[in-house]
Amino acid sequence: MTRPPLLRLAASAVVAGLFAAPAWAQDAGRATLDGPLAAPPPVPTGGDLPVPADIPELHAADDDPIGRRFVEPPPVPEAPRGLGTVVEREQNAAFAGAPLTLDEALELAAANNPTLVQARAQVQGTLGLAVEAGLWPNPVFRYVGEQIGVDREGETDTPGEFQGATLTQEFVTADKRDLSRAKFLQRTRVAEWAAVSQQWRVCNDVRVHFYQALGAKETVAIREDLLKAAEDAVVTAREQWNLGQATRSDLHLANVALQEARLNLLMAENDYLEQFQTLAALIGLPLETGAVVGELDGESAEIDFEQVYREYLDEAPQVIMARQKLREDQITLKRELVEPIPNIFVEAGSGYNFEALETTGTASVRFDIPIFDRNQGNIRRAEADLVRQRREIQRTEMLLRRELATQYRRYLTARQHVEQFAEVILPEARAAYKNQLDAYAEDRQQWPDVLTVQSSYFDLRQRYIGHLVALRTSETLIRGYLLHDGLNVPDPLPPGHLDVTAQPR
Amino acid sequence: MSAAEARRSFLKAGTAAAAGAFAANAVRPAAAQENPRQDPTPAPGAPTDPPGGAQPRGENDVRADYDGFSRYQPSRGNDPDSKWYIGKEVPGFRRGEEGPAPFIAPDVEKLPYTMENGWKVFRLNCTPVRREFLPGYYIDVYGFNGSMPGPTIEATQGDKIRVIVKNDLPEPTSVHWHGLELSVQDDGASHLTQNMIEPGKEYVYELHPHEEGTFFYHSHVAMQETFGMVGWFIIHPRKPFDPPVDRDFGLIFQNFRIDPMTTVVDSWGMDFNWHTINGRSGPYTTPLVCRHGERVRIRIMDFSPIQHHPIHLHGHTFWVTGHEGARVPKTAWIPRNTELIAVAQASTLELIANNPGDWALHCHMTHHMMNHMVQHVGPRLRGQADTERYTANLETRPAVDLNSKALGEVPPGYPQMMQGMKMDPRAMEKVWNRREMKGMRATAPKTIHGLFTALRVLPDDLYRLVMESDEPVEKGAVFAEIVRRFGDYGRYQWAPMMNMNGGMNGGE
Repeated sequence: MTRPPLLRLAASAVVAGLFAAPAWAQDAGRATLDGPLAAPPPVPTGGDLPVPADIPELHAADDDPIGRRFVEPPPVPEAPRGLGTVVEREQNAAFAGAPLTLDEALELAAANNPTLVQARAQVQGTLGLAVEAGLWPNPVFRYVGEQIGVDREGETDTPGEFQGATLTQEFVTADKRDLSRAKFLQRTRVAEWAAVSQQWRVCNDVRVHFYQALGAKETVAIREDLLKAAEDAVVTAREQWNLGQATRSDLHLANVALQEARLNLLMAENDYLEQFQTLAALIGLPLETGAVVGELDGESAEIDFEQVYREYLDEAPQVIMARQKLREDQITLKRELVEPIPNIFVEAGSGYNFEALETTGTASVRFDIPIFDRNQGNIRRAEADLVRQRREIQRTEMLLRRELATQYRRYLTARQHVEQFAEVILPEARAAYKNQLDAYAEDRQQWPDVLTVQSSYFDLRQRYIGHLVALRTSETLIRGYLLHDGLNVPDPLPPGHLDVTAQPR
Repeated sequence: MSAAEARRSFLKAGTAAAAGAFAANAVRPAAAQENPRQDPTPAPGAPTDPPGGAQPRGENDVRADYDGFSRYQPSRGNDPDSKWYIGKEVPGFRRGEEGPAPFIAPDVEKLPYTMENGWKVFRLNCTPVRREFLPGYYIDVYGFNGSMPGPTIEATQGDKIRVIVKNDLPEPTSVHWHGLELSVQDDGASHLTQNMIEPGKEYVYELHPHEEGTFFYHSHVAMQETFGMVGWFIIHPRKPFDPPVDRDFGLIFQNFRIDPMTTVVDSWGMDFNWHTINGRSGPYTTPLVCRHGERVRIRIMDFSPIQHHPIHLHGHTFWVTGHEGARVPKTAWIPRNTELIAVAQASTLELIANNPGDWALHCHMTHHMMNHMVQHVGPRLRGQADTERYTANLETRPAVDLNSKALGEVPPGYPQMMQGMKMDPRAMEKVWNRREMKGMRATAPKTIHGLFTALRVLPDDLYRLVMESDEPVEKGAVFAEIVRRFGDYGRYQWAPMMNMNGGMNGGE
């Protein structure tokens, strides 16, 4: 808006006076006219005002005097890339690939998830240790040349008093080999339970992400209906505009809601893509995105916290693994306790005695005398490991209880919501929606109100899907011993203090 | 012979009114239509002669013509200062000495009384009421003795009246006798003049009305008034008003806020969407029926919570002869076509019914001529009013054609779709199964909505056919006969029969 010159002059004068008028300048107007002037602030004009980025065709008619002349309603905004109107979309592109059921997904994962192979390899590796630890020590061959250059009377130096060879064999005492083998076999059992854990992790994750993908797919369907409702709201607003029952602002806001509904649908599709590809990664195959097929809904037995926890104490791989490890530690202690009993090294050989000029034999027996090193340090460590592992079992049990408590809280919340949504909230919302439709059919309700209730119903169904996914996730994790992360490296075996020695014992 | 033909035969053979009726007229050229107003020979069914013939015997005797004003034809008279001008003091057929004409408030009962030691004793119970505003629409309101409006109390100036009010509401109340100059302890102004009548308790009001005129009683609790607690209190003058009337009708106009999907009045609501006349909405309001040439009094009271009503009568000019306060001296009577009646006001209109026909009598506020004003946008506007495709599967909804071009092809403001009505056949039967509706045009209910009723001015024979005989009458037959006698039948078009079950005579 351009100000009249006089007004602009006066405004400039006042502003300038505020900045520049000295104390003597009581007459601000005269002083600013006669005295030195601060630069007046620029007077904004219509042409100088900043104009926000605009879409001319959307708002062309808004330049008409508001409410003085009928103008056509603003055009419906174009759909974002990849999204037409619901009418135009016969099938959602997100579900174009081959369908996938939960059983198929589990089978594929069992065959292709790399961590399962890793876990099995870990078992094999540990078994190798058991083999290795139980093997006899190799005999030691030794060439012996003693006192080379000994002078013999009448002769110069001889090749030596004795030239020959010996074989030394270490005789492992105190069943050390058996104990070592037993120890590593026990560790193999630990590794086997680690592999079982990994199978649970993979299965649980496949189930959880299958349900999440299923939920995402159903959310897409509901978002499509919400988009239909938003499209209807746009058409309705345009009808209202034609009847003088809506303002231009209402139409713009309807366009906004439409575009948001479109984005929400795209977002739901993106979510589905992510969920499906996450599932495919867990399966271990680069699958083309298709539709997951299954039911989120359905009856499931109620879970009792204490009962589940008691089952955990008996069955959970984590607990069993810790107990197996305790057994291993007990064997380890036994093994370390016998370590001071010296192995016997028996050596025997034969050679030629150049002094006696005849073939002679040699034999020796030796063993350590456990005076200083009675393996007391390792025994102490093994004892400490035993204590640690006993507490590890307890820690595992408590950790499970804590995680179960967290998951059980989610389960309870989800189950309560699912039940109430299924039994009360959705039927009530559906009844309200039906009621509105019936009222509309009898000319007793207005369509915008019907649309509002309709959208509420679809929103509630979307929330119901979220609760169902949460319930299935919690159920899966609780039934599956809280194991998840099926793409993580299988659990490393629990540490042992002598694992790094070249020859396991 | 079809049922319709049989009924036409009845009208031809059984009543003088229909002697020259439809079958014969229907084949006549339009130019040959008989027009009684131009025909010097009175046709059968022409204006009814008053008792004693048309010749005046005295100044106030009943006669056909009064100084240019005709009892039987639309006319004004010769002199605005004349006592006969627009029928101002033209008497009815009823003689004054016969006492007041019976007060008739259609669809509202009269409250009986007992005489006890010279007292007229009325018993009035304040009760919740379920009132059928429209056929099939039972609305929960408050009223008296199971009725909303409450039953009419009718008395005579100077009576000793005792009203025993029992409160059968779940909350306290009191009853105010609106307009009476009474002893203050009997005024009924809650808390101000009396303790509230607690639920289950009684309170006895004793009234000695020295007034005459149009009064009413109502709860003096605002929200209960909003719920409809009102009734007529008609006090006839000891000396009957002059000129005597033949008909004395009473109509209470009310508004309610009732959300579209409820039956309970929202007493806080300010946007009124249900409108009743004597507790019924058009087309369930009962037409006022009178004889051609009678003097008619219509008392109208506005008991809406906050809205006034400009009441318009078609086809006649009436005199405003009184308000709720008192009878207006004749020098102050005003001739009108529309009387603006504010909240808690009543107006008394008097007219000579000299123009036969079915005449609209309605509040002229457009939103008061409809109920449940809903916007008609949505599928209904798109030619898909059937919502079965939505209800068939509530888990998904049909798509809309976002690219519809239809809106650009109609002018702004169209279509509002407010010109129609939809009511199921059984409801329509209830509308039509009233004597007062007999012979009206089949499409009459399409316009009688909300604060809307009709004044039917019928020649004597047609009056008897409608109000005193049980003979079946085809929809529109009476109206058509009036057109035949008093209008231009050649231009007349029968109303379509509105697709009702039973064909043209459905609902009877």
